[in-house]
Amino acid sequence: MEIIDFDIRGQICPSSLLVALKEVNARADNLRQGKVKLRFITDNRDATTTIPESASNMGYLVLVTKQEGCYIIEIAGKKSSLPAA
Amino acid sequence: MKTEKNKSHEDLLRENQELRKKYALATQYIRQKVNQLLSVMGTSPLRAEELDDETLIELDPISIVSDSFVQVLRHLKEMNEELKDAHDEIAAIFESAGMGILVLDRDLRILASNKKIEDQFQIDRGTSAGRPCRELICHRDAASKCPASNAVESGRSCQQDLVLDERHYHVLATPLRDKQGSIARVVIVYMDLTERILAQEKLKKSEERYRDLFENSTDLIQVLGADSSIRYVNRAWLDTLGYREEEVPGLSIFDVLHPECADCGPEFKSVVCGYKEGRFETTFRTKAGDKIIVEGNVSAINEDGKFVGTQGIFRDITERKRVEVLIASEREQLAVTLRSIGDGVITTDIQRNVVLINKVAERLTGWKQSDARGKAITDVFHIVDELTGELRTCPVDRVLETRLVCELEGDAILVSRDGSTRLITDSVAPILDKNSSIVGTVLVFRDITDRKKLEERIIKSEKIESLGVLAGGIAHDFNNLLNAIVGNINIGRKFTMPDSEVHKSLERAEKASAKAKELTQQLLTFSKGGAPVKKLAAIADLIRDTADFGTRGASVRCEFSLPDDLWHAEIDEGQISQVINNLVINAVQAMPQGGVIHISARNVAVKPMELQELKAGNYLEIIVQDHGRGIPRDYLSRIFEPYFTTKDSGNGLGLATTYSIIKKHDGTIDVESSPGAGTTFYIYLPASLDNARPSDRGAMFVPHEKATGSVLLMDDDSIVRETAGVILNLLGYKVDFALDGNGALEMYKQAKNSNSPYDVVILDLTIRGGKGGKDTIKELLAIDPNAKAIVSSGYSNDAVLANYAVNGFAGIIVKPYTMDELGDELRRVLSSK
Repeated sequence: MEIIDFDIRGQICPSSLLVALKEVNARADNLRQGKVKLRFITDNRDATTTIPESASNMGYLVLVTKQEGCYIIEIAGKKSSLPAA
Repeated sequence: MKTEKNKSHEDLLRENQELRKKYALATQYIRQKVNQLLSVMGTSPLRAEELDDETLIELDPISIVSDSFVQVLRHLKEMNEELKDAHDEIAAIFESAGMGILVLDRDLRILASNKKIEDQFQIDRGTSAGRPCRELICHRDAASKCPASNAVESGRSCQQDLVLDERHYHVLATPLRDKQGSIARVVIVYMDLTERILAQEKLKKSEERYRDLFENSTDLIQVLGADSSIRYVNRAWLDTLGYREEEVPGLSIFDVLHPECADCGPEFKSVVCGYKEGRFETTFRTKAGDKIIVEGNVSAINEDGKFVGTQGIFRDITERKRVEVLIASEREQLAVTLRSIGDGVITTDIQRNVVLINKVAERLTGWKQSDARGKAITDVFHIVDELTGELRTCPVDRVLETRLVCELEGDAILVSRDGSTRLITDSVAPILDKNSSIVGTVLVFRDITDRKKLEERIIKSEKIESLGVLAGGIAHDFNNLLNAIVGNINIGRKFTMPDSEVHKSLERAEKASAKAKELTQQLLTFSKGGAPVKKLAAIADLIRDTADFGTRGASVRCEFSLPDDLWHAEIDEGQISQVINNLVINAVQAMPQGGVIHISARNVAVKPMELQELKAGNYLEIIVQDHGRGIPRDYLSRIFEPYFTTKDSGNGLGLATTYSIIKKHDGTIDVESSPGAGTTFYIYLPASLDNARPSDRGAMFVPHEKATGSVLLMDDDSIVRETAGVILNLLGYKVDFALDGNGALEMYKQAKNSNSPYDVVILDLTIRGGKGGKDTIKELLAIDPNAKAIVSSGYSNDAVLANYAVNGFAGIIVKPYTMDELGDELRRVLSSK
């Protein structure tokens, strides 16, 4: 499975959300088919709420993990497997 | 167009301002819509400083959000489809569930119900919706509680077992809450337990039934685990083996198996360990240590194909065993008693068939038990009349008719299977059962053949005994007469010239008298077999004279082989002469056509154990051999029995007397015979190595040196007194006479008192009507302990003669005696101290 990383550090909501949604929309089919997984690195705390909520409503699996000075938000299709949230 | 071109700068400015205003408004609008969309997406509105208008247009957030919406919708649609599937699944489960399910609102009105509810409670689902469940299901009154009402009140699941329409239900009510958390609905599940409960009740009843059987059984029941530990036992087991119920868990079957039961241990072990099943007998041990013999079955218990233990049922057969042993031993005892009883016993059933026949009856009838069983009694037991020889009716018939004990009238002859006959007496008794019904008969009979013969023998023997008494009496008188004859011939011979005819006549008369004397001796021994009066004697002449005498007048002659150096023997000459005479007579009779009898004697030294019945020592062996018809082998062992004879003329006493005489001489007699070849008798007599010359049996008178001394002669016979008086005078003795014991004692006392005592007293043993020698000697010795007495008798049967010294006599003289015999004995007595 292809993993695509996006570094959206420095951006805050709503632009970080819009960027994330734009990337998700662009790869909707591959995501659903489990061919690809997106990984966003953000330092905006709001984004850790808005991105997972939006992605969940769109039917994706989302996993947020906190790392040194940033958060990693992983988005994958339902057929994919993500480490348990 | 001119107008256009002619537009003023002011116009342009104004237009520009208006356009800017519109653009601002448009951008404003876009920002507003973007914010509106972003708020739908749940994020914060756009900030002017973050996105300028141009970036906004370039980013195209509306398009982004709209694309995202498409995905949201698509996701929702998928979810709806999943939900619908889930709903359909639940509905199907709900409908097809094996238990009744009701969905109620919080007022317990029916919202939904499944098919099972319809079946369980006969509810029409078309009309049941909206109605209170109690009206349709449990019919309780509104105030009472039920799991559903409890669930609504408590907010928790509630359950209860209920009986509805005679069926058992486990009812579970679960409240469902709405979004606000308040209870909106209740789901009730009805699990029908009826079948299970009925099955349980059935099982319980069945278990109770089996428990009753288990506990009330008088047999011992046990259930063991695979490790041989005892798991369950019944009451009978506890009672029999003396354990309390609480002690059982610690017990193993090997605590209960008796250690003495060595055989059953391994076998039982293989059973309790499940290797072997089946019926067997073993021994248990009670807690107190008593032995209990049990018989029973053990079978393995398997669960899921795995051996988990055994179950066994046993019966205490200790008492039964004891009784069996008792009965067996009693039966054995009876059988042995019956078999070994001395009389013949035959039992029959009421059909007159033989049931049992004992050993004696087997022998007498010739029928073995195995052959006789089941045969008619008349086939086995044939009796004919002793006198007429006619077949007699079987007494069994009479007993079966009369039911009374029946004795055979008179004796009968039993004819055995092989035709031989025995004289019997018999009796038959009925065998009665406890109800006094006749179940058979018992026939007891006795072989009286031998008894009859014995009776006849006794009669014969009594006859002979009386003859003997008669003969003894005659012999006594005859001896006295003979004594006088012999004495007087002796005297006559003394006064004749040896060469004269008178002298020779007297010599012949003397020899004949000696034979007459032997004849009386023989007569006496025949009659009573008197004790031998032993004297040292040379045997050769005795044998020769006796044998010649015995063959006189017969066509048989004797050949002798009698060496000169034969040892002497202490014998009663008369008796040994009788023995030789008997053997010779037998030999003569065995050779009616005539022949030769070989008679030989020799000295033998018998070593220890060389000849049966004989002690080691020196013996004279006398062999008398004929070549006659011989004695059948069967008779050989019996010929010495009294009254056994194969001769029509014999009295059966000859060889018996012979045997008796030889035995009394501490000797033995043996016989060899082969039919047709002849018979040989061997006699062994103890030899005496005393070299003293035995008294000369010769009858010739040899004068002795004249004797001196006084003799008192006691005899009741005047002839004896006179003859003896002459002989004693001739011998040189002075003699006085007494007629009986008292006279003799009186005379002895007088002579003693007058200082002329008698040197010797001759006492006749038997004095008719007066005191005899035996009584007289006692008193005589009382008067004079040094008195010397000689006992005289012609009746040698009395033990006094054989043991004369013991009785106090110094010597013995047997009538009739010759002058020499009397002289020798007197000299011997007078010279003794």
